[in-house]
Amino acid sequence: MTVVEFLAQAEDLVSPGLSACQGCAAELALRTAMKVIGPKSVVGIPPGCVAGFGAPGWGLKTGMKVPVCMPLLGNSASLMSGIKQAYAAKDPEVRVVAFAGDGATVDAGFQCLSAAAERRENIIYICYDNEGYMNTGFQKSGTTPHGAHMSTTPSGSCSQGNAAFKKDLPLMLAMQDAAYVATLSVSHIPDFVDKLKKACEVTDGLSYLHILSPCPTGWGTTPELSIEYARKAVETLYFPLYEYSRGTFTISKPTLRAAAKAKPVSEFLAGQRRFRHLCEADALALQEHVDRKWGILSRLAG
Amino acid sequence: MRRLPIGRDGMYVIDTGSWRQFRPVVRQADCTRCGICLMYCPVNAVRMSDGEVSFDLTYCKGCGICKIECPKKAIDWVEEGC
Amino acid sequence: MARLDALTGNECAAQAARLCRVDTVVGYPITPQSSVVESIAAMVANGKMSSKFITPESEHSVMSILKGAGMMGERVFTATSGQGLAYMYEPYFSMSTARIPMVMALATREMISPVTVWSGMQDAHSVRDAGWIHLYAADNQEILDSIIQGYLIAEHPDVIIPVHVCYDGFYLSHQTAEVVVPDQEAVDAFLPPCALTQMLDVNDPAMVDSNTPGDLMMEYREDHLASMRRALDVVAEVDAAFAAGFGRSHAGLLETYRVDDAEEIVVTIGAMSGTAKDAVDAARAKGRSVGLIRVRCLRPFPAKALGALLAGRKAVGVVDRSVSFGWSAGIVYQETLAALGLAGIAVPTLSAIGGLGGADIREEHLARVLDLIHDCALAGRSRQDAVWMNHELLSAQRR
Ligand SMILES: Cc1ncc(C[n+]2csc(CCOP(=O)(O)OP(=O)(O)O)c2C)c(N)n1
Ligand code: SF4
Ligand code: SF4
Repeated sequence: MTVVEFLAQAEDLVSPGLSACQGCAAELALRTAMKVIGPKSVVGIPPGCVAGFGAPGWGLKTGMKVPVCMPLLGNSASLMSGIKQAYAAKDPEVRVVAFAGDGATVDAGFQCLSAAAERRENIIYICYDNEGYMNTGFQKSGTTPHGAHMSTTPSGSCSQGNAAFKKDLPLMLAMQDAAYVATLSVSHIPDFVDKLKKACEVTDGLSYLHILSPCPTGWGTTPELSIEYARKAVETLYFPLYEYSRGTFTISKPTLRAAAKAKPVSEFLAGQRRFRHLCEADALALQEHVDRKWGILSRLAG
Repeated sequence: MRRLPIGRDGMYVIDTGSWRQFRPVVRQADCTRCGICLMYCPVNAVRMSDGEVSFDLTYCKGCGICKIECPKKAIDWVEEGC
Repeated sequence: MARLDALTGNECAAQAARLCRVDTVVGYPITPQSSVVESIAAMVANGKMSSKFITPESEHSVMSILKGAGMMGERVFTATSGQGLAYMYEPYFSMSTARIPMVMALATREMISPVTVWSGMQDAHSVRDAGWIHLYAADNQEILDSIIQGYLIAEHPDVIIPVHVCYDGFYLSHQTAEVVVPDQEAVDAFLPPCALTQMLDVNDPAMVDSNTPGDLMMEYREDHLASMRRALDVVAEVDAAFAAGFGRSHAGLLETYRVDDAEEIVVTIGAMSGTAKDAVDAARAKGRSVGLIRVRCLRPFPAKALGALLAGRKAVGVVDRSVSFGWSAGIVYQETLAALGLAGIAVPTLSAIGGLGGADIREEHLARVLDLIHDCALAGRSRQDAVWMNHELLSAQRR
């Protein structure tokens, strides 16, 4: 079965009408991930856009066809661990999934996620990384890129936007020897589906999947270009796709192809409102950061 | 039993089809049924049946991703209400 | 057969968790509670207890893991103190409002700043409005028994609210006392196996604990408060049933001591109550007409029962191991005033504050408080400002 055939026949486990913005990649990521994970699963979605656009439901109505709950901003990995450990005794095949934004993952929820990986909790933790606290109004998070204009790091006469650089959580979890770590992009769905399948097969620890998730509303791009921006992020090595498992880093095919003729990061930045003010020096700093990170990763992958 | 915060009152569904300003229309003659539009539609609104691609306009938000991603440029963009 | 043992308060809490056959314990160290979770870890490691025992990185995670397990219908347990309770406040609140009926032991502790690890009740009293039932033990036996009672109360179909069993850090947590440890069969006969709702079930998918509009939120809160009100009866009934089964009562909601003919009343909470009874006896010996009421259940607050007990007295004093910032008073005092107000009772009152950050409450402190309550009765007026028990004693001695 091809990936398209699989996606065409797999049941969509998410409500057909949710209020994500037009072109929201997080909606695509959620629907696609759940098609792979399947109906024997329990999902936790902490505060953030996906919870806000109604995936966990509203009032007494549910937004998903599987059991779903809403953790707190900073406790998804712990709450889902408790659920998984209790379910393990009843039915070990039930997959317990956290689907959390970057703020809920790399900032508020980092401590407990790291601890769950250390305890080898057998949960699937998916972070959709839209590079900011979008649901609360596009504030800077730990994964916001350098220079980005966000509502708490606005550019102005005394500011060039975010002074910090994007925090790299997948690499940190790989260093913790989590059972399976992968980066995914909505622009490369066959790779995306393949990695989700691998995450589902893990039985002895935590799977961490980090998805770059373009946010047209927060990035200031038009909705129809969401996939294109994700693709550019891969092609410029801004967001390299790779896997880590049992001591081995493997660069994924789309990134291997991209590395052969990597495009400049400026191609990813172009047209995004959050980078409109970026001066040459900051664009260069961003490029250097990308180069440095890619250098680390390619050395790790041998 | 006390009032637990459990919801079983059916599915929460929003009428996202009403958001559209433009709707996708596929030119079947140019469509190769590659399914790329289906793969990328964030709303899961693309259907492939009887070898034809169609759109579920009840939920399609009109984001335009399918139009941009179609490698054959076989999806037209038609203004709603026209 | 029940056996007689010499146990610390913390060991009592651990033994109770074992006897209640809890499914999951999540542990994180903090003084003065640590030996509760250490004892449980040792029992699990040695096959004396069959619970899962999980060790996360913080109290925020402790309560979060417990919530996950609780949503799956498990019977769960932990213990904490002071800063740990403060750290877990966010999931702590969501545990009670998600209606997950667990029991937590709390070896009470003063709050930082400045830094302290010592006793006080500021931690527990500060969270009295977070939706949990609060029982306060006066001795080690009561810690053990209240935890067993706690599961029956929490899981009662009319209640479904978690229970907090609080006891004075160090004074009870670390002090060894003679305790009757009931045998497993007796506890099994008293406390049925856990039969809580599994909220998350792949065979019956539902949404749990999610985005909620205000009208529905009002319904949840109204139901929670109604359940709290019913818990007043359940706490008393469970203690009575416990007394019938085990031959010991812990006085249900309020313990009374020599109150029948008393003109003056001192209200206490926790371990100070034993010393306070000695002070009452001494005052009685001097011809003073004084009695004691110990608050065992702070949430739900037995306002009606307390009001009825306080009707017709000449003065009422309340001794607190906490402060109510913004009032010159302690917290149990505020609760008592509310009960008096509800009952329409006008009586001179006094708030005494002591035992903060491990400061002692000795019999002489309490004797002085009884003198001041007597002064209130004579003057027919309430004291406007709190009595700071250690200063008060010193200045009285100087005089
Ligand atoms: C403890 C806590 N602090 C703050 C918030 C407010 N809050 C709700 S959603 C959100 C943003 C979450 O950002 P992220 O996880 O990146 O998801 P996104 O909104 O980008 O989808 C914040 C800060 C909260 N819910 N809980
Ligand atoms: S703000 Fe961004 S992440 Fe949030 S729903 Fe809209 S597009 Fe999606
Ligand atoms: S316009 Fe957007 S929502 Fe509609 S079918 Fe195309 S991709 Fe899907």
